[in-house]
Amino acid sequence: MKTFLIDDDNLGNYLTEQLLRIEGFSNTIQTFESAQEALETLQQCATETPAVIFLDLNMPIMNGWQFLDALVPYESRLRGRCRIFVLTSSLALADMEKAKTYDLVAGLIHKPIDSEEIQAIRSQLEDEDIV
Amino acid sequence: MNECDVVPIGGYPEQQAEALFFLNQQGEFSHVNEQFTALTGHTAEALLSRSLAELVDPDGAAAVGQVLAYALHGHGLTFDARLRTAAGTFVRFALTTFPQQPAAQTAGIGGILRLAETAQQTDSAVREREKQLSIISRTIADVIFVLKVETAGQYRFLFVNKAFTDTTGLRGEQVVNRLVQDVIPEPSLSMVLANYQQAVATKRRVIWLETSNYPTGQVVGEVCVTPVLGDDGECCQLVGVVHDLTAQHKVEEDLRASNERFRYALKATTDALYDWDIQADTLLWGEGFEDLFGYHLESNPSEFGQWSDFVHPDDAAHTVDTLLNTAHQTTRNHWQQEYRFQRADGTWATVFDRGYIIRDEQERPVRMIGAMQDISARKEAEAQQQRMAQELFAQNADLQQFTYIVSHNLRAPLANARGYAQLLTRLPTDSEAFATSLGHMQTSLEQLDIVLNDINDILSIRDKPAGRQEKVHLSSVCEQVRQNLAETLSASGGTLTCTIPPDLSVVGNRAYFHSIFYNLLANAIQYRSAERPLHIEVEGGCAADGNKVVTVADNGSGFDLDKAGADVFQLYKRFHTTPKGRGIGLFLVKSHVEAMGGRIEVSSRVGEGTRFTLSFS
Repeated sequence: MKTFLIDDDNLGNYLTEQLLRIEGFSNTIQTFESAQEALETLQQCATETPAVIFLDLNMPIMNGWQFLDALVPYESRLRGRCRIFVLTSSLALADMEKAKTYDLVAGLIHKPIDSEEIQAIRSQLEDEDIV
Repeated sequence: MNECDVVPIGGYPEQQAEALFFLNQQGEFSHVNEQFTALTGHTAEALLSRSLAELVDPDGAAAVGQVLAYALHGHGLTFDARLRTAAGTFVRFALTTFPQQPAAQTAGIGGILRLAETAQQTDSAVREREKQLSIISRTIADVIFVLKVETAGQYRFLFVNKAFTDTTGLRGEQVVNRLVQDVIPEPSLSMVLANYQQAVATKRRVIWLETSNYPTGQVVGEVCVTPVLGDDGECCQLVGVVHDLTAQHKVEEDLRASNERFRYALKATTDALYDWDIQADTLLWGEGFEDLFGYHLESNPSEFGQWSDFVHPDDAAHTVDTLLNTAHQTTRNHWQQEYRFQRADGTWATVFDRGYIIRDEQERPVRMIGAMQDISARKEAEAQQQRMAQELFAQNADLQQFTYIVSHNLRAPLANARGYAQLLTRLPTDSEAFATSLGHMQTSLEQLDIVLNDINDILSIRDKPAGRQEKVHLSSVCEQVRQNLAETLSASGGTLTCTIPPDLSVVGNRAYFHSIFYNLLANAIQYRSAERPLHIEVEGGCAADGNKVVTVADNGSGFDLDKAGADVFQLYKRFHTTPKGRGIGLFLVKSHVEAMGGRIEVSSRVGEGTRFTLSFS
């Protein structure tokens, strides 16, 4: 299962990647330190669409929300094939509410992600027959 | 005895005796009775064969002849004549003549003589005049009295009119024939006696004002005393007239009281009242004007410019112009405006001015009465309130910012540390991932420490906004920072030119200025362009408005100002991905600048460079 990690904090990316590997969540994990990079990859290779994207919110140049806005034109292509999980250190309720307004966002997880959350996501994906 | 003798003497013996005389046809006395002798002193014997004309004074002699001729023709007549008595003086008598034996040719003239004073035949014109005088003296509102001047400065009332008794409440008999000193009490007595004395001595009219308390109330009167001179040229009587001025006096008194109230109201008010004569274009000021604004008026009324020249130039259009427009181009009566007005000491007062325009029948403006109220204190209080509201708003914004820091920047390294702690338990201790994760956990904890220090820095600025105030020479601070960063700067291959004049100083906190220069220069080094050697230029000077201005400009990579917008100086906002900044530098710079009452602006172009402009008042 192809997975993208988008976070400008490389410590955060390394941590999430290690946890996902230990849980056997994914065999293909690609990390991006900027949302722009990830966006370009998504635009270029339609075939390489990941099943799951873990997206940080607070990033320079292009933050998580701007990334989600930029994805709107590709929504029809991504719907049902790609689940985006916001992975943030923010506890703000406003962010939780805002996340719900995006169709592509499947959920919001507070950092750090733990094994139970990873298993929950996996079973959710299996139910929807994406894996 | 003939008929002539019998009839008059014996005819009326039981009646009150009259003085009778008889004349022959020539007008000579033929007989007089005892009463005639009693009145005139002339005996019958002495008058026999003397004519009546001889007794009449020469002026009346001609008239007597006519009267006698009239009587001889059978007509009776009464006339006045002055007759010489036996003593030689002339006395006025009324003579009634009638024909005796009218049918007979030889008949003479009979006559009755009476003293003129007791005669019933009084001149009707005189009676009429007396009657009129009496009516006047009774009905006239003015008090009239006549005094007889006696010896030793004594005056006796001879006459008072009805107004006198009405006004004084004294009955006529309580006054007439009594001495003035028995009627008029002190202290009025001394004054009236002095005035009477003056009239008598000078023989001229004396007029004075007198306030007297009578049973009918207080009377204010103009008293006029006129001397009447006797035959000897001395003053024998005084005629007094008191003209009641009480009503007029009351009007004047009311007016005076009203004016006095107005004067005290003027004193009581802190407003500057004015009266603008629009045609003459002059201003009459109440005393508030000088008190309120400290001016000493050279003349009052003053020129219009005494007001218009001191209205703040920025307010003149909506103040002076609208006033002139309202007065001359409209028919409105009310005008009011709030504006700044210069005091004598050059400072500005905020004034609320309200006026009423008086117009003539053609709606032309004639005058405007108004008041300038100094509302500076109120305005200042309002501004203070506004500032407090802004400070509260800013503090609230800071609190929101603080929440943001806690949720993102404090929690991010904490979340990582927790994550690594969890991960480490599941990794083999001898694996490479274990070592890396352990290192990352340490890094996360260090980041946490840095953020906590940042927060401490920020809060310390906020707690003591101004810090220690001193005169800070900017060029020396800049030089100090240059030495601190010298190694980093030369390592980056950059150069720095500082042209701040050595004497340019700003009152503030030296440590803050150090922080400002340090962060700006460090930023410039950090975000230098890879395509050209870095050059930083620091300039300083005084702007036209007196503000001290410092610019820090570099030729670095710059950033897109349109995208960054208001976030440039926001805490933990970054605009570069590499190398990593913490997003606190510019936030601290802005906090320090504003804590010292300054402002900071930025301009930047991607690939060209960035320029920060700081200004301090």
